[in-house]
Amino acid sequence: MRKLLVFLMLAALLASGFAGMPAAAEDKKVLKIEGGDYGYPSPFTFYSRGPGYIRMSLIFDTLTWKDDEEIIPWLAKSWKSENGGTKWTLYLEDDVRWHDGEPLTADDVKFTYEYIKDHSGTPLFKWFSVLNYMDHVEAPNDRTVVVTLTDPLPSFLTDFAGCIPIIPEHIWKDVSDPTRFTDPEAVIGSGPFKLAEYNKAEGYYLYEANEDYFKGVPLVDELILLEVGDPALALSAGEIDEASFWGSEIDAVETFEADPNFEVISGPSFWVLKTIFNCEKYPTNIPDFRRAIAYGIDRGEIIDQVVHGGAIVANTGILHPDSSWYMPGLPDYAKNDAVANQLLDDLGFIDTDGDGIREYPSGEDLEFELLTGDRFAREAELIQEQLEAIGIKTTVKAMSTKTLDAILKEGNFYIAVSGHGGVANPNLLETPNWPGDTYHNDSYDSIFLEQETEMNHAKRKDLVNQLQETIANDLPVYTLYHPLMWSVYNPDKLDRWFYTLDGVATGIPIEMNKLIFFARFGDANEDGDIDMRDVTKIARMICWLDPETDAADANRDDKLNVLDIIYTELIILGRV
Amino acid sequence: MHHLTKITAYILIIFVAISINFALPRMMPGDPITSLTDDPTTGMPVIMDEDIKEEIRSYYGLDKPISEQYTGYLRDILKCDLGWSIYYNAPVAEVIFERLKWTLLLVGTSTLIYMILGIFLGAVSAWKRGERGDLGLLVSVLSIGSFPSFFLAMLFIILFGVKLDIFPIFGATTPFMEYSSTFDAFKDVLYHLILPASTLVLTSIDGPYLLMRNSMLGVLGEDYIVTARAKGLTEWAILKDHAIKNALLPITTVIAIRMGFMISGAIFVETVFAYPGIGKLLYDAVSFFDYPLLQGAFLIITLIIIAANFIADMTYLYLDPRVKHG
Repeated sequence: MRKLLVFLMLAALLASGFAGMPAAAEDKKVLKIEGGDYGYPSPFTFYSRGPGYIRMSLIFDTLTWKDDEEIIPWLAKSWKSENGGTKWTLYLEDDVRWHDGEPLTADDVKFTYEYIKDHSGTPLFKWFSVLNYMDHVEAPNDRTVVVTLTDPLPSFLTDFAGCIPIIPEHIWKDVSDPTRFTDPEAVIGSGPFKLAEYNKAEGYYLYEANEDYFKGVPLVDELILLEVGDPALALSAGEIDEASFWGSEIDAVETFEADPNFEVISGPSFWVLKTIFNCEKYPTNIPDFRRAIAYGIDRGEIIDQVVHGGAIVANTGILHPDSSWYMPGLPDYAKNDAVANQLLDDLGFIDTDGDGIREYPSGEDLEFELLTGDRFAREAELIQEQLEAIGIKTTVKAMSTKTLDAILKEGNFYIAVSGHGGVANPNLLETPNWPGDTYHNDSYDSIFLEQETEMNHAKRKDLVNQLQETIANDLPVYTLYHPLMWSVYNPDKLDRWFYTLDGVATGIPIEMNKLIFFARFGDANEDGDIDMRDVTKIARMICWLDPETDAADANRDDKLNVLDIIYTELIILGRV
Repeated sequence: MHHLTKITAYILIIFVAISINFALPRMMPGDPITSLTDDPTTGMPVIMDEDIKEEIRSYYGLDKPISEQYTGYLRDILKCDLGWSIYYNAPVAEVIFERLKWTLLLVGTSTLIYMILGIFLGAVSAWKRGERGDLGLLVSVLSIGSFPSFFLAMLFIILFGVKLDIFPIFGATTPFMEYSSTFDAFKDVLYHLILPASTLVLTSIDGPYLLMRNSMLGVLGEDYIVTARAKGLTEWAILKDHAIKNALLPITTVIAIRMGFMISGAIFVETVFAYPGIGKLLYDAVSFFDYPLLQGAFLIITLIIIAANFIADMTYLYLDPRVKHG
């Protein structure tokens, strides 16, 4: 062992002789990715979809953030909670500055929370509606923020501190209508990038790195977002360096997987497609009827035929299998026509006239409209076929998603096929058959309210499990599939892409987490690659020849020593 | 007198169009607020409190009674104020005109080219009817023209953009380009215009080509052509002075109608080439229930179509001395 250590150290020191000049990149490092217009990236003007928030998050920071494993400190370096989770004290990092040079202080944080709460009539408030939980906020000194809530909020760190961007008081205190404020000052933030140019009509964004960023210098100097017609073609042509794909686009992904110039990673989309039942109208208000339909549907067939394998069978309890709240082992109602038929027979829906369609006890054919959004017409048609096999006749009626949502909210339906995202967050389970609201179960509702304020994680997990079990048993919805999601990228430009635990911020499933612009552990010289030059750098740091960097601590043990050299070499060899 | 009634008729048409513009978007179930609250692709459905929704509604003036919204809408139009887009968070006029100029460029250039080319080829075809040239043209124009525009567009992208790398494959300009001269800017726009415009030309040329061919064939059978030949005029003179002018008459009507539809007709090409035109804007506005944007965009398109029809009316009168006033 000692011999190995000595050998490795010698190798490191020798390498320093060959390393030569550190790689000072003379050319600007530019990263180009898919863009499209998602609005001017101030916290009040981005378009209310996921990518809009992400673009804003490159310019503005939150108090906490997430990486692929856990919640990490960001503007706040530490925190504590008291009074059963209603009082949170957060301690800010020192020496963080706004892009215009002013220091970021606790007063800015206090101002931000109060300002956004006061402007709750703006459309973007949906992203920040968690502020309704806030009773008041104090800034006892420059570096400390104390938030007092009206009720305990177990998701405070992700949904509150990890979602609300901090804005500079000295700019926004004079702005009365934030939605119409589109001056250059509106995008002065504290984040790793500054907005250099934005072209609304053509959907371009040009971001420049913030060299004074408190977490270090970003790995790219310029970030360009472009509107491209076809991401796969643009990626092949080298017009962009990364693109994301979803569900049935699996065919495009497979071509890239075979191409050595690109790397592919996959992650959870936190999206689910469901069959929604109207639990108020007869006969879908009978649980066994719903179960019979579930047994009649073949989810595997839907995934193979419609999505070409680009999805996984959904959790009948709705929450995504890759989220930390997932409860395994719930009943899945695998296709079983015999059981379905038996259930329907027992309920009294018999085919009395031999036409293949069951009848109501009153004699009419058992027939419904199967509503769906345009995007899922094929899934609906397949379900129609599958239900015909058990004697239920349906007519597929496809429409625009917005129209469908409106109809569902009015309760004017029996069965619908629709989907949504966000299934990493248990608070989503409030109305299981959203956007319908026909499932009424008092004990379910009270368990939901309990878990909303339960600060003990184990207890909360248990309550959320109960919710999932109830959904899987009562079937207000029968979930169909979760699409897969991929990121295909050119590793020569940037290879830091990853999927954040439970999605970015409140659960946006996207590989663009601003952490990708910062060095990995082991990349001691922070040039974006891990190679022998980093080994040399660590050696020089240990000998006090160079200042230490956080990324040099390759094995994340908070100490800088020979073990980090060994760990870095193991990374280079591909052993870790 | 005749002119006055014509103008009154047009004003009436415009007024009816404006009112329908107002009513139509509101007849769709749902409203702009629902589109703000969730995103069917990546987003989380946000269960918003009703009172917050109400606040947002009043921010955009959607809580006022319909009659008040209607009169406000008419008043704004007279003031040339098209309102504020809910989704794009900017004045509607700004959003529309930024995109309209690109559509006008793309569709304008394409229309000019395919009309002239179509008419010319149609005339040549009719003149050489039955010969190899005619048949060759007929077959090629019709077969290429039957390709769906987006298919041809993708073919071009793959061939010229990816494989041969001659032309850029998306956008109207190179992003963030700083031009050292207007000529350079012009060149850049041209480069980006070639592929989408060619797609539009190839898929639309069959219309005027066939029309012209048929029209020409009809004209060539007329007595005055026989007379012209008898007079000893050259084939070229006959073509130029007698045949083409008369064959053009029905085409004018077609051109006018086409002009109106051209605004929205390029949507496929715009989408595939990510050309920032108004077609895609319209589609998005409908998906997002953005009332002000929808109203404004439909209004502009209606006005353009009406203007085009008006011009066609006037041009026809000018071209065909047989049509008298009144």
